Amino acid sequence: MSATPGRIVIVGGGVAGVSTVAALRAGGYDGTLTLVDAGEFPYDRPPLSKDYLAGKRDFEQIALKPAGWYETQSVRLIRRAQVTALLPGQGLVQLADGTTLPADRVVLGTGGTAARLPIPGAAEVGVQVLRTVEDAGRLRDALPAASRALVIGAGLIGAEVASTLAGLGCAVVLADPAAPPLAAAVGPELAAWLHDQHRTRGIDTVAAGIASLRRTSRGIEALLGGEKEARVVDLVVLGVGMVAATPLAEAAGLEVDRGILVDSAQRTSNPAVLAVGDVTRSRADGTQAGHWDAARRDGERAAATLLGRPAPVASAPWFWSDRHGRHIETVGRMAAADRTVVRGRLGDEPFAVFGFRGTTLVGAVSVDDTFAVRTARRLLDGAIPVDADLLADPSTNLRRLLRG
Amino acid sequence: MSGTGIRVAALDDIPEGEGITVDRAVTGTEDDIALLRDDDGSVWALNDTCTHETASLAEGWVEKGHVECPLHASRFCLRSGKVEGLPATRDAVAHRVEVRDGEVYLFPNETSS
Repeated sequence: MSATPGRIVIVGGGVAGVSTVAALRAGGYDGTLTLVDAGEFPYDRPPLSKDYLAGKRDFEQIALKPAGWYETQSVRLIRRAQVTALLPGQGLVQLADGTTLPADRVVLGTGGTAARLPIPGAAEVGVQVLRTVEDAGRLRDALPAASRALVIGAGLIGAEVASTLAGLGCAVVLADPAAPPLAAAVGPELAAWLHDQHRTRGIDTVAAGIASLRRTSRGIEALLGGEKEARVVDLVVLGVGMVAATPLAEAAGLEVDRGILVDSAQRTSNPAVLAVGDVTRSRADGTQAGHWDAARRDGERAAATLLGRPAPVASAPWFWSDRHGRHIETVGRMAAADRTVVRGRLGDEPFAVFGFRGTTLVGAVSVDDTFAVRTARRLLDGAIPVDADLLADPSTNLRRLLRG
Repeated sequence: MSGTGIRVAALDDIPEGEGITVDRAVTGTEDDIALLRDDDGSVWALNDTCTHETASLAEGWVEKGHVECPLHASRFCLRSGKVEGLPATRDAVAHRVEVRDGEVYLFPNETSS
């Protein structure tokens, strides 16, 4: 086994990077640990589309770790800093201000940027996106003067932003050509129900893309696909996914294909460089998780690799979404299901949908019923056989079912 | 505080691997109390509100010395309240609990030895 590296530099203070740092120290790593982050202070992204956008939480309240944590963990945190080059051959990381940091290993957690669509007029009207706290701040600042909003894209971010804006009293048009959005992630039945929740909350959902945008004296005129009359709004938010931030990796000669390619131990094509979180893509199966929990687990796996320990036990993919006051969780791969059973009644919260392929559980989605998904997660992780009828029966105690 | 503690529940009221909430009016604590029963049968007490947002830890998943928040799955040590998994960053407040003759007694703001 190779010795534990003496100096590790982590680039990017999102949940993946910070989890790497935390897991290294928790695992007893006593070398020099430096976290370089472009932002003001490492923060958590999920609240950006919800409580932070709504003004219910401030920046200090979304910090990933409290201010004193880095010092007590002997982590050098370099904030507001851009990494301009990785020089793995020389064991150096170069910053924009000319500083070089010696590094035996580098972990890249550079995340991504909000995807843009080539919509005519988008630049002219100042279409907003939501990826960073700066984005959320701009959106927040625009809200007092905005009573009508168009949200483009009804996936997770779009749906959450639409929900938050509607909750703040904004008249919202939510446009997405997919009918319904998120069908692959949560299954078609639940996707349809979830999307319909927007309508019942007064959001105008339109199954269309955007043909053009332009600024006029009335506001922003948005022409939707298939419509003749433009919609007039004060604000346009685009939520159509993410593009991995790979320039640094590419310049360093790492293998990149719509994400930094990593193996199951988070190793890139360069043995001195690991990568974690949204910036990565699996070399083995081409998947790109793009979720908070996956990023956190990447960090734990990267730390294990750096410490020369076996990888932590893998767990089925899991994510949540909070919108319209409801908590939705998904685990596993609903897209792999060939049949579903409902625990409770679909549309009558709390309820959950379990996906099976033949007799094998492959995924679950819950609405205000986290026990269902937490149970499914453990069933999936343990490859424990389970009877679909038992899961569907609301009188079955799931906790006990798992204990056997 | 010492003495006999406050009787807050019968042991049988709390299924293994689950929790119940005791109102702060009963316990005199700053927050409601989550009584959490581990899968080995032991009982622990934490302030009920997750330190991340506003979920009730009594509705969380209790397993192997930890409780997992029902909302975003932050993990806390049952014994110490120590936060062991993001997104929460602050520890939960733990209170000492004693089980005598099938009854659960709470010692608010005392730590477990």
